[in-house]
Amino acid sequence: MRGEKTRTIQVDYLARVEGEASLTIRLEGDAATAVRLAIFEPPRFFEAFLRGRSFMEAPDITSRICGICPVAYLMSACHAMEDALGLRVADPLRALRRLLYCGEWIESHALHVFLLHTPDFLGFPDAMSMAKKHGEWVKRGLRIKKAGNSLLSLMGGREIHPINVRVGGFYRAPARGELEALLPELRWGRDAAAECLEWMSRFDFPDVERDYEFVALRHPDEYPFCEGRLVSSRGLDIDIRDYDGHFVEEQAPYSTALRSRIRGRGAYLCGPLARFDLNFEQLFPEVQDLARRAGVAPPCRNPFRMLLVRMVEIAQAFTEAVRIIESYVAPEAPFVEASVRAGTGFGGTEAPRGFLYHRYTLDETGAIVGANIVPPTSQNQLAIEEDLRELAPVLANLSHVEATHRAELAVRNYDPCISCSTHFLTLNVERT
Amino acid sequence: MMRARVFGLGQPAAGDDGFGVAVVRALRERGVPRGVEVQHLSDPSSLAALLDANVPVVIVDAVLGSPPGELLALTPDELATRAPLRVSSHGLGITEAIGLVRVLDAGADLSEVRIVAVTITRPAGYRYGLSAEVAAAVPRAADRVLQLLGVA
Repeated sequence: MRGEKTRTIQVDYLARVEGEASLTIRLEGDAATAVRLAIFEPPRFFEAFLRGRSFMEAPDITSRICGICPVAYLMSACHAMEDALGLRVADPLRALRRLLYCGEWIESHALHVFLLHTPDFLGFPDAMSMAKKHGEWVKRGLRIKKAGNSLLSLMGGREIHPINVRVGGFYRAPARGELEALLPELRWGRDAAAECLEWMSRFDFPDVERDYEFVALRHPDEYPFCEGRLVSSRGLDIDIRDYDGHFVEEQAPYSTALRSRIRGRGAYLCGPLARFDLNFEQLFPEVQDLARRAGVAPPCRNPFRMLLVRMVEIAQAFTEAVRIIESYVAPEAPFVEASVRAGTGFGGTEAPRGFLYHRYTLDETGAIVGANIVPPTSQNQLAIEEDLRELAPVLANLSHVEATHRAELAVRNYDPCISCSTHFLTLNVERT
Repeated sequence: MMRARVFGLGQPAAGDDGFGVAVVRALRERGVPRGVEVQHLSDPSSLAALLDANVPVVIVDAVLGSPPGELLALTPDELATRAPLRVSSHGLGITEAIGLVRVLDAGADLSEVRIVAVTITRPAGYRYGLSAEVAAAVPRAADRVLQLLGVA
């Protein structure tokens, strides 16, 4: 504090402003009569902020919503705008977008798998404690995360909140040589992901099965990132444009967030487990083999096994990134020019945490007159609450500290997004 | 050759929490000496993978405190003492990320990591732009960053 004048300043803690969550479970005996996950959700602010802005600004503005998955917001916004303007983005620009998404899946999944989720399985309170005993695995995890970041850095222009992306493509397309420089680390990542998956497959997974309705994009030729029909394990099969006809958002009285349900049914699950279940045959054959060897194959309805599925998706993303770069031919132009018109556009892509839906209505000048954003965490909220309701008899017999820990483990399976939802989890157990 | 790194942390859509981003922008506008890498991070967890170059590092962030707009220059240990570890279901804070690097790499030289922080009141909600008190601290923070890196 050299050179600072002396005075008393009260400092509490770092002010990372993300969502906060509180979880209230009301128990009567062994039964939960109420489970309320209250989350703070910023997309509503951004929807209002977008009105009157140009269609070109939506990707960059919405990518600020989440520090962990900005690419998902960029991609859903771009696809929605391109849908409104009748624009089609083909290879090699389309492949570059998939490459960018590979980077985000790798770094987002690696953060969750290695720094947040693995300590739960090995009985450590956090990554730092775990690193004292399992340092080599944590180092491997950080290197995997960094390899994802390097893709984002090159493709996005900067690692967090990529700005090189625009409606119609990119402001600048990378040269082949720039991408090839990443190949050694991406090939290392592909092999390291396989080793990590094998290691994690030996963890003890609680014996839990849930009867989810899975919802994810499905594409005839590829594991889904940006395109496909929205399908479910109970027969839903729709165009993204029909999303609002089949899903409804409702305001929970105890939360600023909206919760989604399938009309006429109820809770559903999107994210890694849903993608894996509905698209297993679209994984590369060698990645399917890795999954089978790790003992994970559809149907997988154990939320704790999402750890392994995220690891499978990391292996898939590394494999796809290597393939895209090996066959890359730079595009003639970095973007397709859009001509402005009035209309409504729909975009839905697979964020690391699940389906991210954007809908925009534009006037004839290309200004946004309406915006609707449905993040994966609000789609999964009902499913999370149902998990906790089933856990109630267990929680009822634990001390408050143990019950909080156990409830946190259950919530952490879903990797609910901080910026989009939860950060501090405070648990209230009301016993009557 | 990279000589130093500056990381600005924060969410520009959350009012004064965008301080680190504003300082990054000010440094870029001012122009930093060759070899100084300036980067915005909105996820402090990323620090764990980025503190590996054994070069001086300054992390710019906002801390909750009063009165708002006061500038602090802290070592990681001072920060750890003043800011208790946070319980998060979703990421690491600065203190945790630095702690992780220390555990993993006994050879990592973190003696030249500094945190330049501004005190802010807790943002009530999402909005763009800094308050007057915190905005006034941006040029001073940029000066302080360059001074700490020995390139002022």
